[in-house]
Amino acid sequence: MTAPHFAIETSGLGKRFAQRWALEDCSVSVPVGRLSALVGPNGAGKTTLLRLLVGLRAPSAGRAEVTGRAPAQRSEFLADVGFLAQDAPLYRRLSADEHLRALAGMNVRWEPDVARARLGTLSIPLDLPVAKLSGGQRAQVALALTLAKRPRVLLLDEPVAALDPLARREFLASLAEVVADGDLTVLLSSHLVHDLERICDHLILLARGHTQLCGDMDEILATHRLVTGHRCTDAELRRRFEVVRATHTERQTTAVVRTVGPRHDPDWQIQEIGLEEIVLAYMGAETELSAGPMSLVGRAS
Amino acid sequence: MNALVWRLHRGQGTVGSVGLLGLAVVLAITGVVMANEYHSALSTCGASHSCALLGRTLFQGDGFVKNLVSATVVLPALFGMLIGAPMVAREFENGTQDLAWTQGVTRRRWLSVNVGWLLGAAATWGAIVAVLVTWWRAPENALNGGAFTPGQFDIQGIVPIAYAVFAMALGVAAGAVFRRVLPAIVTALTGFVAVRVLVTLYLRPRYQSPLTARQSLTSSGLPNTDWVLSQSITGPGRALPGRGTHALAQVTPSNPPCAKHGSSQGLLSCLNHSGFARVFTYQPGHRFWAFQGIEAAIFLALAALVLGVAYWRVVATDA
Repeated sequence: MTAPHFAIETSGLGKRFAQRWALEDCSVSVPVGRLSALVGPNGAGKTTLLRLLVGLRAPSAGRAEVTGRAPAQRSEFLADVGFLAQDAPLYRRLSADEHLRALAGMNVRWEPDVARARLGTLSIPLDLPVAKLSGGQRAQVALALTLAKRPRVLLLDEPVAALDPLARREFLASLAEVVADGDLTVLLSSHLVHDLERICDHLILLARGHTQLCGDMDEILATHRLVTGHRCTDAELRRRFEVVRATHTERQTTAVVRTVGPRHDPDWQIQEIGLEEIVLAYMGAETELSAGPMSLVGRAS
Repeated sequence: MNALVWRLHRGQGTVGSVGLLGLAVVLAITGVVMANEYHSALSTCGASHSCALLGRTLFQGDGFVKNLVSATVVLPALFGMLIGAPMVAREFENGTQDLAWTQGVTRRRWLSVNVGWLLGAAATWGAIVAVLVTWWRAPENALNGGAFTPGQFDIQGIVPIAYAVFAMALGVAAGAVFRRVLPAIVTALTGFVAVRVLVTLYLRPRYQSPLTARQSLTSSGLPNTDWVLSQSITGPGRALPGRGTHALAQVTPSNPPCAKHGSSQGLLSCLNHSGFARVFTYQPGHRFWAFQGIEAAIFLALAALVLGVAYWRVVATDA
């Protein structure tokens, strides 16, 4: 089996629906204890990857391992993996408390008291049907249920997409708190990169059905720079840098590049760059080919 | 697991049970009244030699309750449509299959527990209704028979239980296949009605080879416990289906023709003498329970078949 170092590991994982590959040749690994951000544009295969990892879907190609085991409809596997689907599905007429009671019989390591305490702290009513709660409160209930299961790996599909900024911040704070005191591994998909930068320490970037980036957040930030200089051709630029994406104006060339170690180049102004810009550079690398003065130079392999 | 099933279905369970209780109260009261009337009529009719007429004089007034009893034939379809069909389909419409199927139990077990409860409820409710109706119809059966005829056969004995189980299983399977409530309900209804009609029309008359009986035109016919599949009048050497006795009287070969007879009794005995007879194809009343058993077995087998589809769809298909 897998070295226990990785909580999630896939190789060549793919899923095809009818004629279209929703996810292709996906090879990623998330070390134990990380809070990993799964980012990418809509349709990049984020949901498909998460559903493959929890066993709701069967792969068309490749393999996956979560906590060292292939996703399967087996109770030992399911006990270790928590999944929070998009839009936090709950039984609308049941209250949070009824959910906690009803799901108790379906899980071996059920811990409802922690969940009750957490929801109590957030002043979320336990006895109201969840249909009467706000979207943010429902998301918190769904997260509490998923955590009450005491999973070793937690997979969250766009948990904050439907939330207002305040609810989003509270949700992510709850999540960060949970991860801080345990060796839980979290893979969290979102297209709101800005929010993830603050709490995540690992990043997987999917675009066009393929893995573009997979690694520690710090390392990704440390190895990408924004370079600015006099206008030059793509070929010239590529001789100096490993280019992710370049844009040219009449006088200037700006590019997101990969670089290892500190670099000084008198001809180029080299700046640190935020996660959002890095992600956008990878996501836009092919999709905006025709967008005016911007042009593709190349993309890190 | 049981706790979840109960919390999701307690509304349906309560409504179903209260409805059945109402039906039970109505049938119990009217049933006791009818049984008393029947027994007191039996004890007095002997003196006036009118016992043979009881079938026409008793139980004429309670048409509403009679219709209510006949209407219990739709209950299995209701179980399938309102409880069976939404079971899986509603999970998909609300996205909650993602919640249910990622807890620490496998989909197979999730389906088994759910189906177990639903089929159990269908069988229990079906059995209660069947027992009530069979008991309620006892005086009517004793007086006028008819328990073997389509429509009455279907609401008595053990077949209502098998219908209820099949309807519920069909609803669950339709919900699992379509994953949407409305198409599942439509399929549960049309599928159930189609199977019931086809079995009643084409299979049930053939569970055992029907018997034939030949009787004179003046005889009183077969016992009312038999299920008559067809009857016709045969003439000398040839069958004459679909002709009334007066029409027959015109073609009789005797001389003078039977049509000369004024009284209908004279006409019929004339026809008898000319070689006409009534021929019945029928299933005798003593086969009632054998037919109940065969039909129940058929519907239970069909229930197993559609449940197989439900398992395949839930366990082996992507969610």
